[in-house]
Amino acid sequence: MKVFRSPARHGYAVEASPFVPSRSACAASQFYGLTGCGSLLVLDQTETDVCLVTSWEWSDGLFDVAWSETNEHVLVAGGGDGSLQLWDTANHSAPLRVAKEHTQEVYSVDWSQTRGENLIVSGSWDQTVKVWDPALSRSLATLRGHEGVIYSTIWSPHIPGCFASASGDGTLRVWDLKAAACRLAIPAHSAEILSCDWCKYDQFSPFSRSVLASCSYDFTVSSLHRLVGRRFSRASD
Amino acid sequence: MNRLKIISGHLSPAGSTDHERDLWGSTCGSGPAGSSGPEDVVVVHGLRTATGRAKRGSFKDTTPDELLSAVMTAVLKDIGLSPNQLGDVCVGNVLQPGAGALMARVSQFLSGFPETVPVYTVNRQCSSGLQALFNIAGAIRSGSIDLGLACGVESMSLRAMGNPGDLSSRLVDIDKARDCIIPMGITSENVAERFGVSREKQDAFALGSHQKAARAQSAGRFREEIVPVTVTMVDDRGEDRAVTVEEDEGVRPGTTLEGLAKLRPVFKPDGSTTAGNSSQVSDGAAALLIGRRAAVKALGLPVLGVLRASAVVGVPPDVMGIGPAVAIPAALEQAGLSVADVDVFEINEAFSSQAVYCVEKLGIPPEKVNPNGGAIALGHPLGCTGARQVVTLLHELRRRGRRAYGVVSMCIGTGMGAAAVFEHPGP
Repeated sequence: MKVFRSPARHGYAVEASPFVPSRSACAASQFYGLTGCGSLLVLDQTETDVCLVTSWEWSDGLFDVAWSETNEHVLVAGGGDGSLQLWDTANHSAPLRVAKEHTQEVYSVDWSQTRGENLIVSGSWDQTVKVWDPALSRSLATLRGHEGVIYSTIWSPHIPGCFASASGDGTLRVWDLKAAACRLAIPAHSAEILSCDWCKYDQFSPFSRSVLASCSYDFTVSSLHRLVGRRFSRASD
Repeated sequence: MNRLKIISGHLSPAGSTDHERDLWGSTCGSGPAGSSGPEDVVVVHGLRTATGRAKRGSFKDTTPDELLSAVMTAVLKDIGLSPNQLGDVCVGNVLQPGAGALMARVSQFLSGFPETVPVYTVNRQCSSGLQALFNIAGAIRSGSIDLGLACGVESMSLRAMGNPGDLSSRLVDIDKARDCIIPMGITSENVAERFGVSREKQDAFALGSHQKAARAQSAGRFREEIVPVTVTMVDDRGEDRAVTVEEDEGVRPGTTLEGLAKLRPVFKPDGSTTAGNSSQVSDGAAALLIGRRAAVKALGLPVLGVLRASAVVGVPPDVMGIGPAVAIPAALEQAGLSVADVDVFEINEAFSSQAVYCVEKLGIPPEKVNPNGGAIALGHPLGCTGARQVVTLLHELRRRGRRAYGVVSMCIGTGMGAAAVFEHPGP
């Protein structure tokens, strides 16, 4: 097993590069993310181990990272100070851009996956979701509706302009960017929902494209059919 | 701090999305129970008289002030503390007029306490002895006193549950009010019926109580907690006889299931509650010295137990026996503990029916319950019992020689339950 250890930094998120198969980015924070600084690490896997390509320091903890879908050098990270930063592995020293609009920790960043779009979505503990252009110049939309901290925002891999969010208010929400509105709010769990994801496979069932999964502190994992918001399977341990 | 609040909010029970959580600092590896502070309410020492069989036993002609005086004197003498140091004395009692307020004051003077030590009594029926401890603990916590005696005494030989006092005639029109005057035995039948506790189970439980008490007695386990008392009793020929009482009189080592099965139900013709599976009517007293840890330490006194939680709850009067099933979870929650964390439960055996119900409802392993027997074998002198249970519990935990938690609980006539969690600190 190949291991990379980041001394005094606790990992919060990892994402593989869409362009370089061996490459991944890791968002990490000091002191378990409760206080202190953060680091963004770009790592390469070799045959034998994992090595550091480049890294940057940030003045607050970093909680999520997403690679650009259009430029192999670019990544976006979300920080505890409410900022999103755009980083470039070809430009080592400072971020390309810092956007500070969220008023609390940014816990989730995601880059759109559908062909027609090139957008960033961020979810924050300030209970809002923001959608950004790929240069992070300013937010294109701020979406409200969640009543608790947002832990996860994920673009649908199939449906343009559609993303899901998971929140401490116990709901999963599905949003439509064009209408700048929440299309569906599902009280999926009885405790805070920490993570959600779309099924990106559209082969095995007519419903797969609309399947959303979430997991929560109530010890269950839920799979929901987006169109009817009905839970069709639930696993718990 | 806010980030810590959000994340620690994940640890709240499912269903709660409230992020405003109280954070408290506590010593490593523990919550409210287990941490040690100068403001803790601690039990320094406790003793009891043997329990005598009411009307027929050795205490049948002994006034309660004598029993109470004996234990109060003994507790202080054992630890070498002058009664001057006591901030207050609270005595649980049920049957004496005015819950024995005058009797208690007389008793303290029989013990030679100075008049500067105040005393009062408390009556919460069967929990009075424990309520006395709660009251002294409360006075300590509110800063009025540093040290106090919590006691309980009852002579069921000299007084009976006869006179209900002055009650409104409207009582008959209100169900719950009327239920308060249901005889205790009928409430036992109600519990047995409503919750399906069979006669066989009740008798088996009663047998267990006698067996455990008999074993404890013959192993001499009660010797360190019983104060021998020399009293006068009037024998069959009408003559006075001095007798020293140092053994519980109610224990029947020869009890068998067959013998218990032969007994006829006492309260209802087709009922299941018999004299054999009910608590005995008894005489006895117990006393506990309670203090604020800082004051106890300053006097160089030992800590036998720490009060970690106290709960009193209300339940329907007609099934008052379920009290512990509600009070114990309340107390455990306060202490941040579960049944699994507790080593010994002293659950008063008012009736087998309710004791069995409570033990089963809470899923308590039977070996944790009344390891030295309970009221069915040892007797239930009403105002004394709560204090007696604490004495027996803490002595048992000390015998086991390691840090452990114990619970004392009882049902209360007219529909209540009380429970306390104690921690024995270990050697």
